[in-house]
Amino acid sequence: MNLNDRDDLDDARLREIAQRLGARAAEQLDVERTAAGVLERLRKEPARRRVPLWVPIAAAIVLLLGGAELWRATHRPEPVVAAAGYDLKTLSADQLRDLLQVIDQPFDVDSVTAEDTGLDDLTPAELRTLLATLEG
Amino acid sequence: MISSDSALIAAWLGGDEQAAAELVRRHARALAGFLGAAGAPEADVDDLVQETLIRAFRSLASFRGQCQFRTWLLAIGGNALKDSVRRVKSRGGGRVLPLDESLEAGGGSPHEEAVADETERRLAEGLQQLSRLQREVFLLRAQQGMDYDDIAQALGTTPGAARVHYHHAVKRLKELVQ
Repeated sequence: MNLNDRDDLDDARLREIAQRLGARAAEQLDVERTAAGVLERLRKEPARRRVPLWVPIAAAIVLLLGGAELWRATHRPEPVVAAAGYDLKTLSADQLRDLLQVIDQPFDVDSVTAEDTGLDDLTPAELRTLLATLEG
Repeated sequence: MISSDSALIAAWLGGDEQAAAELVRRHARALAGFLGAAGAPEADVDDLVQETLIRAFRSLASFRGQCQFRTWLLAIGGNALKDSVRRVKSRGGGRVLPLDESLEAGGGSPHEEAVADETERRLAEGLQQLSRLQREVFLLRAQQGMDYDDIAQALGTTPGAARVHYHHAVKRLKELVQ
């Protein structure tokens, strides 16, 4: 016993009773059985290793960054211009007007030169079709 | 050769099971006495002792020798008892018997009747009326003979505060016992 401050323990009677209070519980304890039980439980339920503090912090940062990246990937803004083949029903009035203006422009036939349509570029089948047309 | 607690702790942390068994042999009875005096029913003392020791061994890596191993162990025992009382209350069934009642419940033999004398009953009753901190400080001091520095370290308070708690506890208990 380490009783450096004996002046506080002036009531020996009180101390004696306090020591007696748990005496029966202490006497009745089977220490060897307790030791065996403790060791068995420690073997069955191995101690959870203490995880250094930086590990959960690092894990939280990784999760946050990963989550943010995933969110960005799944929430990209829709392109304003409809892609080719886009359903006309989904176009706005302005987009439809723009589209009609493009279609309405006259096709400039004169701009097509002979170089664009050389006979050398035609396949035998196309040549036969062309000849049949010329023959009327 | 008798190893110190510190040496046994180091051996256990190194995987020596016998070191753990030796620590149990050294401190289990004191722990049982502390728990019994703090109000644990006799029928539960064995389980509470085991629970306390398991908790202690699992957190031994955090024990830095700031106080005696026994004081640290008894403080863990106080927490285990508190959790046990809480579990019993939350289940709504049964309850942890104050010590005086547990003495009566297990009584009958002449020896038990002699132990459970009137003064002891009053002290046991008085202990249950103290705050948990006062009760633990009183028992660590009066029953286990720990010094205030050790008690303060184990219970997370200051030596001065531990001394005040002890004096208040003694004053209250004397009123009840005398």
